[in-house]
Amino acid sequence: MTLKYRILLIIGLILASGAALFPRNVKERVKTANGGFKYDTVRRVPLKRGLDLQGGMHLALEVDESKGHVADKSEALDRALKVVRTRIDQFGVSEPLVQKSGNDRIIVELPGIDDPQRAQEVVQKSAFLQFQITDKTQALEKALPRLDAAVKGIAATVATTAGTKPVDTATQGTPGTTGLFTADTTKKPAADSAKSDSAKTDTAIATPTTGGFSKLIQQGQMPGEYFVADADIPAIQSYLSTPAVQAALPPGKVIRFGSDSSQLANKLYRTMYVLDAKPIITGENLVDAKPNTSPTEGTIVEFQFNNEGGRKFRNETSKHIKDFMAIVLDDRVMGRPPVIQSAIGSRGQITMGGRDLQAASDLALVLRAGSLPTPLKIAEVRQIGASLGQDSVSKGITAGLIAILLVVGIMLVYYRFSGMLAILGLILYILFTLAALAGFGAVLTLPGLAGFVLSIGIAVDANVLIFERIREELAHGKTVRTAVDEGFRHAMSAIVDSNVSTALTAAVLYQYGTGPVRGFAVTLLAGIAASMVTAIFVVRTFYMIWLSRSQSTQALSI
Amino acid sequence: MLRILHDTNIDFIRWWKWAVGLTAGFIAIGLLSFLINPRINTSIEFTGGTMMQVEFAKPVDVGALRSHLDKAGILGAEIQQFGTNREYTIRAQEAEQRGAATNGAESVAKRIGNLLTQQYGAGQVRVARTEAVGPRVGDELTRDAIIAMLLSFLVTTVYLAIRFEWRFALAALIATGHDVFTTLAFIKIMHLEVSLTVIAAILTVIGYSLNDTIIIFDRVREDLRKGRKESLYQTLNRAINETLPRSVLTHATTLAATLALLFFAGEVIRPFAWVMAFGIFTGTFSSIYIAGPTLLWIERKWPRKIGISKGSSTATRTSPTRRSPATATR
Repeated sequence: MTLKYRILLIIGLILASGAALFPRNVKERVKTANGGFKYDTVRRVPLKRGLDLQGGMHLALEVDESKGHVADKSEALDRALKVVRTRIDQFGVSEPLVQKSGNDRIIVELPGIDDPQRAQEVVQKSAFLQFQITDKTQALEKALPRLDAAVKGIAATVATTAGTKPVDTATQGTPGTTGLFTADTTKKPAADSAKSDSAKTDTAIATPTTGGFSKLIQQGQMPGEYFVADADIPAIQSYLSTPAVQAALPPGKVIRFGSDSSQLANKLYRTMYVLDAKPIITGENLVDAKPNTSPTEGTIVEFQFNNEGGRKFRNETSKHIKDFMAIVLDDRVMGRPPVIQSAIGSRGQITMGGRDLQAASDLALVLRAGSLPTPLKIAEVRQIGASLGQDSVSKGITAGLIAILLVVGIMLVYYRFSGMLAILGLILYILFTLAALAGFGAVLTLPGLAGFVLSIGIAVDANVLIFERIREELAHGKTVRTAVDEGFRHAMSAIVDSNVSTALTAAVLYQYGTGPVRGFAVTLLAGIAASMVTAIFVVRTFYMIWLSRSQSTQALSI
Repeated sequence: MLRILHDTNIDFIRWWKWAVGLTAGFIAIGLLSFLINPRINTSIEFTGGTMMQVEFAKPVDVGALRSHLDKAGILGAEIQQFGTNREYTIRAQEAEQRGAATNGAESVAKRIGNLLTQQYGAGQVRVARTEAVGPRVGDELTRDAIIAMLLSFLVTTVYLAIRFEWRFALAALIATGHDVFTTLAFIKIMHLEVSLTVIAAILTVIGYSLNDTIIIFDRVREDLRKGRKESLYQTLNRAINETLPRSVLTHATTLAATLALLFFAGEVIRPFAWVMAFGIFTGTFSSIYIAGPTLLWIERKWPRKIGISKGSSTATRTSPTRRSPATATR
């Protein structure tokens, strides 16, 4: 290749790299002044920053099988993916990512999110809406003797096994679990499945072994309504989960708790409702939902059914005039069940209790997007504050600049003129690497940034190898021109072999790495390629230019 | 012309026994500290659990913070200062919290977050970073990290066997394996946190050390081709001496970049930079003192004969037949 073509090729590479990095118009979701989001064209450098550099949230979701087996997980996940995607699209994040990873996981990435808990709730909420009529047949009262007997039975069996229980707990390492279990088995036998976060309140419960079930509940004002002291909730929930109690429950009825606690005579109480198991209608037919505030009821969510749903709803409610209708969301009764005055058409509303408008708008959002076909649990969360990400970027850039300064210093002092050529090569190296990253749409992560800074130090290695070879050839008394040629030729095998083996390691990292490490591997690969091109081709051309312009007798400053 | 260590003729290999003793001692210290305290400081990504980085408006007492957490039932959480005394990382990796994480990885984080705002007041504390990982994810990551490490060994060994010869490949593999052990010992002694980023650093060290070994072996290959009347022992020493200026320069620039990362790139990247800084030393060391003597030992055990050795090795083809098995002992 003649010198002319070499120079043209280098200029072409520089132009292509410049074009790859030139700020361009991209369509992006951007925040508008009133807090909404819209698609807009933004001019920016096309290098994407990873979540760890711009702040945001990464979620990995899995099918939650703790409440029942899911037959076809992959299929259920596909349907869940659609719902999650719809919800996220409406949630208002710029450039969200929702994708399936493998057969059993959904990855959600939300850049720049500032309220991670809210985001999590929006993603995870099942949003299964049901309308159920409260029981007016006093079914629970009739079943109480049976329930009490069942509870007594549980207490007895647990009491007999209580002697063996401490042996198990002794093997449990953490003091927290041991304390929990011993407290349960001695004081409150049946509550051994109580959740750990209620451990503190457990001791406050009056020993229910004698009172059984009926002692824990108090009749409420409307049919099917009961009050349970907040402290007794874990106990009653654990009773309800046992098969014996479940068998004793009135048939065709379900027990649901209210969503909020209320103060009654200095004690916190939760409402508990006995409802007809068959819902009169579900959220399936819902077409719209929006948040609103009402002067009498506070924040509400207004919803609307489609024609078919409206017809069904009118039909059903006309059969239940003067009954109370519970609005059940994810097995929790929202607000106090209103009495049905007359047949309700296609519109209705959910009162949000004391929750704010944001909660109402989030609920409206998930209702609109539809319910999740399967419950999801969060397998992994990473959340990085935007300021921490920005901090990482600025620190990374500082470190990079200092690394460049140090490397430039070393090369200039040691190799002088040739060192300067190497530095020109290094500048192009940085340009090419960034361009390659932008071109492949790679995401720049913090480890990637670190890898890039590190590669600045390693990139000159190829130059060093060549320069040392040229020095050796010069020491053997060869002319400058031959020494340069021979130097490049002899250094080649070492450069190729060492770079290829590093590239192989990087490829393995890419294949088996996840998230940030993948970013690191991509940076490494781009760096290796760019460093070989600059050292072997670009710096060589620089030498050729220099040689063609000077007399061959001139001494080389190296 | 500024030259460092130019035209040296140092008998490096002569000291190999001392060198092996030194490195064996270092690995032994690492192993000993592992036997005394088997806990390796692995990050949330691998163990599962919850990690939070929190920033307070005012300096906070660690003891008070710990007792708040203990009272809330988050037992055995590890609290570490992160940079200034206003920033801390809280790690809940105990079995109980891990169990809680199975039901939803975020629940512990939520509890800690609520607790902190309760204790210190809203606006006084800010969560800069949260990582919560269920146990299954951690297991997968561990598996993937081990696969990545073994696979990178395999592919580079195969590549070297093709480009050089199996003896060189094996020697380079052993030298690199040595680097993994010394680096792990270093991580254990320094009590660095093993995160995905640190795994990436270990793999980079492997690559870097391999680079260094290849540069020396490339010289050996070339010198062997010249067919000098000298033993492999002498050839090795010559190759090391010839590549010495390059080694010094490249290590200097790499170290410069690593130090820039160590001091200026912030707390998150520091473990990565520490491993890299150590890796530069162990990589250089092993290229000279592990790869070289191992090659001599392999050469003595399985002397090369013309035409028999496998692979399209150029070194074998041109290596002088008259040379007897390398004489490593003196």
